[in-house]
Amino acid sequence: MTFESSLILESLPRLMDGLWVTLRLFVLALTCGTVLAVGMVLLRISSRKYLSWPVMAYIYVFRGTPILVQLFVIYYGLPQLEFIRTGPLWPFFREPFFCAWFALTLNIGAYTTEIFRGGILGVNKGLLEASKALGMTYAQTFRKVTAPIAFKLCLPAYSNEMISVLKATALASTVTIFDVTGVARKIVAETFAPYEIFLSAAIIYLILAWIIQNGVRLLERRISRYAN
Amino acid sequence: MNRIFGMALAAGMGLAALVAPAAQAETIRVGTTCTYFPFNFKDSDGNLSGYDVDVAKEVVKRIGAEVEFVCQAWDGLIPAILSEKFDLIVASMSITPDRMKKLDFSVPYRISEGRLIGRVDAEHKLFNEDGTPIVEAFDGLRLGLPRSSVYDRWTDAFLPEAEILGYDSPDSMYLDLQNGRVDLIFTNPMKAHLSFLSADGIEGFEFVSPAINDPEYFGTGAGIALRKGNEDLQARLDAALTEMREDGTLDEFSLRYFPFAIYPES
Repeated sequence: MTFESSLILESLPRLMDGLWVTLRLFVLALTCGTVLAVGMVLLRISSRKYLSWPVMAYIYVFRGTPILVQLFVIYYGLPQLEFIRTGPLWPFFREPFFCAWFALTLNIGAYTTEIFRGGILGVNKGLLEASKALGMTYAQTFRKVTAPIAFKLCLPAYSNEMISVLKATALASTVTIFDVTGVARKIVAETFAPYEIFLSAAIIYLILAWIIQNGVRLLERRISRYAN
Repeated sequence: MNRIFGMALAAGMGLAALVAPAAQAETIRVGTTCTYFPFNFKDSDGNLSGYDVDVAKEVVKRIGAEVEFVCQAWDGLIPAILSEKFDLIVASMSITPDRMKKLDFSVPYRISEGRLIGRVDAEHKLFNEDGTPIVEAFDGLRLGLPRSSVYDRWTDAFLPEAEILGYDSPDSMYLDLQNGRVDLIFTNPMKAHLSFLSADGIEGFEFVSPAINDPEYFGTGAGIALRKGNEDLQARLDAALTEMREDGTLDEFSLRYFPFAIYPES
């Protein structure tokens, strides 16, 4: 086998079409998943069992099964149910992109809820007692003390999750979506040159991961500028 | 210390005996997908079976070698044979000009054509009398097809604006057609007839195109692929296949799965 480096350059413009799909999926799923996690973590840390247990079950299911399986259940499994296929949600579940977004969002929600919970539990108890002593309510304490500190504590784990999700978007190619990986597989099938093409795809993912990593590092530096 | 060394040595020799070739006969490794009923698939007992498999076994037997099958997903078949993971591809692969740039092929052992399937009640009128597609008729229709296939390349050429969904397996494609996620699928009519249109509980679907077999895209049929530079092996394959066509073996194999012969006349 010969290595044709010119193929890398030739395949880049087409991979860019896929990049747009990958980015859209990543940003939409990450945003919605994170918003979901903010709601979920409030329920998760509640001392009322009927609030925290359903969230624990949700987290258990989505962390305990492969994303690929979740995606297949949503994409191929749900349409088997008559009420989904004839119901008002079908226009959404008919779309492969929606299914991929839905699976990723639920997945991000589950992981990020646990990341946020870790951050909240990591906040120094002394600070909470001090807030109480100052006469702040539970809600005030959460907004002004717990949340900002927890956010800072979570950032490293959260940036890990972002990169995991970026890579998980490649699974969308298994349900007919032409994201970076989907386009790469199509080009490989035409050129029979897996090394060159998948290498190009890998470089695109590396660049995206680099941007995320450094973006989070800048953010971290900014929010901890008064520390130490 | 010595004992441990001795034991390790003995274990190593045992392993070497396991991996060393047992028989003297030439072994030919055949790559196929193992998931493409009724051409190459695992039957309910887990045995590899189907028209491609029958042809591969018989051809390899006739050239006096042992056959060993390797299962490999469709889109990895050509990269895998090029990196010598196996020696032949017998997987219903059409002999197309594109593939012939990288590989050599035997004479065809099966015809290659595609047809579109859609809902009966949609009353599709997608093709002219002369068999060419009416491009505007495809507006707003979603077309499912096997990723990186002859169907894919034909569609790119004749219906570049069509909305395409690429599938890894025909079964998920049939499922999405039933679910209404795609309006049309473009597929192998022999297989679709057997595993979809005539299957239990499938109603309301029909072929909505003539047989499409433009040789530029569908080639001269499906053949056995091998790496370039093996003229000797190629000649032996060709001789065996020609013999099998003439002595009725291909007929017999066709009729095991289909009510009609599926190899080219000449």
